[in-house]
Amino acid sequence: MPETPQRELTFAEAVREALAEEMRRDPRVVILGEDVAEAGTPFKVLSGLVEEFGRARVIDTPISEAGFTGVAVGAAMTGMRPVADIMFGDFLTLTMDQIVNQAAKIHYMSGGKLKVPMVLRTTMGAARRSAAQHSQSLHVWLSHVPGLKVVLPSTPYDAKGLLKTAIRDDNPVVFIEDKMMFRMKGPVPSDDYTIPFGVADVKRVGTDVTIVATSSMVQTALGAARMLEDAGISAEVIDPRTISPLDRGTIIASVKKTSRAVVVDEGHLQYGVTAEIASMIADEAFYHLDAPVKRLGAMDVPVPFSPPLEDATVPTEEALVDVVRGLFKKT
Amino acid sequence: MATSVIMPALEMAQETGKLVTWYKREGEAVTKGEILMAIETDKAVIEIEAEASGTLAAVRAQEGDVVTVGHVIAWLLAPGETAPTDVVQTVSGRQTTGAPPQAQAVAAAQKPAGTGERALLSPKARRLAAERGVDVRAVHGSGPGGAVVAADLEATSPSSEQPGQAWRMMADRVTASWTSVPHFFLTRDVDATGMAATRARLALQGPNEAGDSVTYTDQLVALVARVIGKHPRLNASWVDGTIRYHNEINIGIATAVEQGLVVPVIHGADHLSIHDIAKRRREVIARAKAGRLQPADLAQGTFTISNLGMFGVDAFSAIVNAPQAAILAVGRIADRVVAQEGRAVVCPRMTLTLSCDHRVVDGARGAEFLRDLADGIEHPENVSVAVG
Repeated sequence: MPETPQRELTFAEAVREALAEEMRRDPRVVILGEDVAEAGTPFKVLSGLVEEFGRARVIDTPISEAGFTGVAVGAAMTGMRPVADIMFGDFLTLTMDQIVNQAAKIHYMSGGKLKVPMVLRTTMGAARRSAAQHSQSLHVWLSHVPGLKVVLPSTPYDAKGLLKTAIRDDNPVVFIEDKMMFRMKGPVPSDDYTIPFGVADVKRVGTDVTIVATSSMVQTALGAARMLEDAGISAEVIDPRTISPLDRGTIIASVKKTSRAVVVDEGHLQYGVTAEIASMIADEAFYHLDAPVKRLGAMDVPVPFSPPLEDATVPTEEALVDVVRGLFKKT
Repeated sequence: MATSVIMPALEMAQETGKLVTWYKREGEAVTKGEILMAIETDKAVIEIEAEASGTLAAVRAQEGDVVTVGHVIAWLLAPGETAPTDVVQTVSGRQTTGAPPQAQAVAAAQKPAGTGERALLSPKARRLAAERGVDVRAVHGSGPGGAVVAADLEATSPSSEQPGQAWRMMADRVTASWTSVPHFFLTRDVDATGMAATRARLALQGPNEAGDSVTYTDQLVALVARVIGKHPRLNASWVDGTIRYHNEINIGIATAVEQGLVVPVIHGADHLSIHDIAKRRREVIARAKAGRLQPADLAQGTFTISNLGMFGVDAFSAIVNAPQAAILAVGRIADRVVAQEGRAVVCPRMTLTLSCDHRVVDGARGAEFLRDLADGIEHPENVSVAVG
């Protein structure tokens, strides 16, 4: 663990620093995607990288996610360590054949002779008034596929450490950042540190209920935990950080301690990440549960454009507090 | 459709049940809700209602049989039906008759028979209740929907211990005495100046060669042993409708040890000097504390003294140590203000409470004994207690 720094970066700056450090460290690391060079992406996450590393390593592509993702898969197979940038997570649907049928399978189908050390960086999260085609959280689609690793950082610190691990991993990694977190500030060491996959982080220690939260929902959970504390309920907040692989042990140990669990994730509720984690808890901690396992996720509707309607589809601190309190109420 | 009658699971950890009674005979018509049978578990005999109407058929468990819970013990048949055979026939993998035995076993395990409602119980509470043998039906649920949760079990004092043999014997003896001996109690406040002075004088002489210094209890044993000779009803027992007088005067000393209450006896205390009483008392109480009492140490007591003065108790009522006729409860010696010849005087006082078996001792006899004992305590010079 690096020393605790005083320095604070935004989430976007932490991602950029991880990329820059890895590109300096390893000349095989390249970035490709739409508007990644001079524009630095619409969220300005990559600003300045093309100036340092040049157009040969920060490559603007045509508007063709399937095409440049395929280029990234091929580059990775032939020795590069590409980071493909999918501007909106919604466009993952265009890359599915390359990611699901190619990147995830090649190492297996080649009997281990080939590997695909690429990172697919993209976004998730609603509440930006971007409507149904630019607001989805589709990370669970990729979590369903063996051969892919799926990373959901929730803090600037985790973003830097996890992205460096992703770039150094010899497998295809999907790295998904919530658009609403790019300006969130937090301590980030200037050191070269990595965070291992499959290791959950206990973001808050508590005794009465375990809240498993992913990505931006970690902040929602922490806010709810503060409100619950006023109600006399001590909530433990666990951030899996990677949903594939999933750190089952930390979650189960926490639930065995608290006897209650709520899982919150911004993907749609139906067949979601929360369903996977809740079923695992019900299976492995059943005889330690004092209440049903509860799930919160995005409402099962296309994300509305109307701001009041959009806000109503996303889990809030208040909704989470209500669900947790329901686990303690008699009626 | 034929309805199975199964051995129900009435308790969390129950594996088998004993069929006590069939209230219906094979071939007899049964209406849903009628009492069909009685089942015995470790804790109780419970009557079970029929879950359906029909004719009782294919009875496989007889009265007295012990059957694994969930097993089918009979069928209730509608007109024209026959009971499914033991072996469940299958065609193309489908059940054709009855429900699969496993499904029935599961249903039985989940459903406390005799009650229509299943108590809500969290998985954790279910596990803890099974581990601790708690009957959750008596537990008040505070969880969602009124479910019993783990905290509710904590509230029902899961802490318990199995007392040892000595404690159980004590429990049995005090219960027998309290429930069968008609008790009455006499209380008397006495001046302990003389006792305190005697004890101080004996202490000045120092302990004897064995190191036995004399306690108030020793003094009381000596005094009681001498006074009781004039009050034979206090040294007697009620035995099958007769009063049996005891020839010996054997004074027991109620003694608290870790395992429970024991009463080692100073035999023939009326013949022993105060120092011999102290010596004997020290020996038997040491054996009692070490758990090495001999049967003879406890046998043949005719009267008991229980002294809680060393715990600061002012006065209390003791349970008669049956079959003895009486027990003397002794409080602490403490300075109190009393009226003497019209003036308030401070002097050491002690409260004695005599518990008597009214079948042997009446109020007047008990009072006379207590009066003479008080006199001996207040005027030890009137009682011949050998010191040497």
